Amino acid sequence: MKEKSTMSQKMGTTFLSFLCIFWVMPVFVVLWNSFKNKNSINLMPFELPNAETFVGAENYLAAIDKYGLLQSVGWTVFITVGSVAAILLFCSMCGWFITRVKTWWTKLIYVLCLFSMVVPFQMVMYTLSLVANMLHLTNPWGIIIVYLGFGAGLAIFMFTGFVRSIPIEIEEAAMIDGCTPLQTFFKIVVPIMKPTYISVGILQTMWIWNDFLLPYLVLDLNKYKTISIVIQYMKGSYGSVDMGAIMAALILALIPVVIFYLSCQKYIIKGVAAGAVKG
Amino acid sequence: MSSVELKHICKIYPNNDKKKKHNLKVTDEGVLAVDDFNLEIKDKEFIVLVGPSGCGKSTTLRMVAGLEEISKGELYIDNRLVNDVEPKDRDIAMVFQSYALYPHMTVRQNMEFPLKLRKMPKDEIDRKVNEAAEILDITQYLDRKPKALSGGQRQRVAIGRAIVREPKVLLMDEPLSNLDAKLRNQMRAEIIKLRQRIDTTFIYVTHDQTEAMTLGDRIVIMKDGVVQQIGTPQEVYEHPINIFVAGFIGVPIMNFFDGELIKDGVRYYVEVEGARIELSPEKEAKMAARGVQAQKVTVGVRPEHIELAEVPGKMIPAKIDVSEMMGSQINLHINVNGKEGIIIVDTMSNAGRTFQMGEKINFTFAPEVIHVFDADGRNLEY
Repeated sequence: MKEKSTMSQKMGTTFLSFLCIFWVMPVFVVLWNSFKNKNSINLMPFELPNAETFVGAENYLAAIDKYGLLQSVGWTVFITVGSVAAILLFCSMCGWFITRVKTWWTKLIYVLCLFSMVVPFQMVMYTLSLVANMLHLTNPWGIIIVYLGFGAGLAIFMFTGFVRSIPIEIEEAAMIDGCTPLQTFFKIVVPIMKPTYISVGILQTMWIWNDFLLPYLVLDLNKYKTISIVIQYMKGSYGSVDMGAIMAALILALIPVVIFYLSCQKYIIKGVAAGAVKG
Repeated sequence: MSSVELKHICKIYPNNDKKKKHNLKVTDEGVLAVDDFNLEIKDKEFIVLVGPSGCGKSTTLRMVAGLEEISKGELYIDNRLVNDVEPKDRDIAMVFQSYALYPHMTVRQNMEFPLKLRKMPKDEIDRKVNEAAEILDITQYLDRKPKALSGGQRQRVAIGRAIVREPKVLLMDEPLSNLDAKLRNQMRAEIIKLRQRIDTTFIYVTHDQTEAMTLGDRIVIMKDGVVQQIGTPQEVYEHPINIFVAGFIGVPIMNFFDGELIKDGVRYYVEVEGARIELSPEKEAKMAARGVQAQKVTVGVRPEHIELAEVPGKMIPAKIDVSEMMGSQINLHINVNGKEGIIIVDTMSNAGRTFQMGEKINFTFAPEVIHVFDADGRNLEY
């Protein structure tokens, strides 16, 4: 019996190992291609770089110098950090408020937030870009507001779920101890909600960092480009594709978000599970 | 001085669910969760609000705390009208059933928190926290987080956080309900000791009549949002104003038998199951003064006041259903003509006697321990 389970365990491990390799293969392909010259990328994409095809950091330098990748990294960081900070601050406050204050309109806000999660972006993108143009939100500051709107659904859903699990007596105790509502929120509720802040932060960061369509539609592309837009622009207008620079740019775009995810991944499960079971 | 005065306090909730069944009074304005609550609490008095769940005791306490709006009436703390004063400005502290400790703070930080908010100097905060920790014997846990403490220790911390502020009024909302029976008894004794050490006014809410009887200077017994009786533990035990109070106070609960009140000139008798028992002169005088006439009544007698005896004409026959040996006493669950009751028998005075299931016994009771209630449940003496 024991042997059987060990056998099936081994088979499972082997299968899953292959699956893992298969899963991360594209990333490795991009990684080694980023060190190869253009021709060999096109002709032999699955071959490792050798003495002939290896070009060192040439592709990276091209991506940075020729295509202004650094500037786009700056804008992407600005938009991501700004949007995530706004989502975390406003949505946690909103989630706390609509959980604790029960009126018909707080219920309505909650339902609208849930509804916004159901509607696909493609359905609203045309009207959204029009509205963004009208309101002059076509710059990195403006797009933060657009991201706040799109991120609010999931964020408020997660925050309300967690706030419901916080016993209201803790907040009442804070009120009696001398807290104003704002002090109760920042000194008591925020520290308790830390796991949810982290998981919402991670989910939103990864989405906003990698997002292509929304900045492409909203931003004034003559002035501001995010990484994903720059990579798209590397394809050129007349079919000339700088594959080397694209590979290098992809790797550069991946590094921060992978590091961020790896350092925070343990909190995701914690944050999602928090609130599900009363602690 | 820290007196509290509740004048005609009412709590009205909107009657959203018209089909919901409850015993609360419903008016045009809504459901009366607390109905015309009047109480004057003296400085340093220990008041216990007691009653079954849904009776409005916690709502009343929350109104005193400022966590619930007062629909009608006036609340004074130290002769200051505080109806519209924020909880933080009422100079009260509260201990919750669920402890309500701040989970991200250590015990010390929890206790320091209200003092820091008041911008107290650091050395004074330290002194007060250490003093409170010493009183509650939690000094060794000061650097732990609440999750690393047991239920009893957490409740001590919650009490500590409340007393460091030296509030005018200390409110406690069923603070011992989450603890197991043994710890509850221990903590009850601790609260009695604590009360002797800190000079403040206490308002304590519980559904446990033992806690109410042992802790309170005065007890307020509530039912369906209405105050039934206010009095010292002895008063409510000896002179229950109605059948609800009589049944609620005392363990095991009072026995109630259907009977008849007979008036023979100036004398009053009760007739229960063929036994005719005259009332004490004191009770007779009270009933005569109120002009009580002969009527069908409910006779209440506490289990500890019943004697097993063979007194012709005054004994009531019963059958033993269950006999519970408690050590110093035996609780006999009896059946009197289809009605259940309970008798406490002292093991010392009945040494060697055994009680079998189904055994027939006779009992009686002294005239001075009888409580006579009319058809509405009101004690005919008052």
